[in-house]
Amino acid sequence: MSSMRVTTTLDTSGKCCPMPMVETNKAIKALAVGDVLEIVATDVGTLKDIPSWCERTGQTLLASSEEDKVLRFYVRKDR
Amino acid sequence: MKSLAIVVRDDAYDKILTPLAFAYLTASEGTQVDMLFVNWAVKALTADGAASLHIDGRHAGDEAKVREGVAKAGLPTDIYEILKALKSTGCVNFYACSLAAAIFGVDDANIIPEASGIVGAAWFLNDKAAKAEHYQYF
Repeated sequence: MSSMRVTTTLDTSGKCCPMPMVETNKAIKALAVGDVLEIVATDVGTLKDIPSWCERTGQTLLASSEEDKVLRFYVRKDR
Repeated sequence: MKSLAIVVRDDAYDKILTPLAFAYLTASEGTQVDMLFVNWAVKALTADGAASLHIDGRHAGDEAKVREGVAKAGLPTDIYEILKALKSTGCVNFYACSLAAAIFGVDDANIIPEASGIVGAAWFLNDKAAKAEHYQYF
């Protein structure tokens, strides 16, 4: 993770479907191609939602992690 | 998914949350969502009707807990506010079924401005539902 430069962090902690995905869609639109969005989530639904959203929308999931029920996703905007 | 058509019939507060959440999810991704409100659910397209929605039956006693959960999830607890949020995506159209509007008292005077009008079900089913990539009924 040390070589990854996060452009923006979106903290959706405590929120549940549909808000993490709604807010992720909004956040990615505000970024430029090449920027990295860090998404922090506690909704376990994002474990499948974020990777499939990346694949569907042409973004790259660079990494993800889970610690103490807090999920972190690092998404590079590719389009 | 490019387009989604949803028919909403159930107007209980808890049950109407699902189609609204699905619409919000997909619209935020750019999917065109067309929603037809039929039967009692047409009342949700009026300010008074949206405010009057409650949980029915055996779950009625849990309404305060449900509303608290909705707020915690990050959604407005007020159905009209959710409709406004959906509309703000620019990808959602709300339609009132003309039969339901006539029966349950929705007209041009009380329908919310976020709605796209009162329409015939034949038009919606043929021009929206049949042409949508995906169709749901709640």
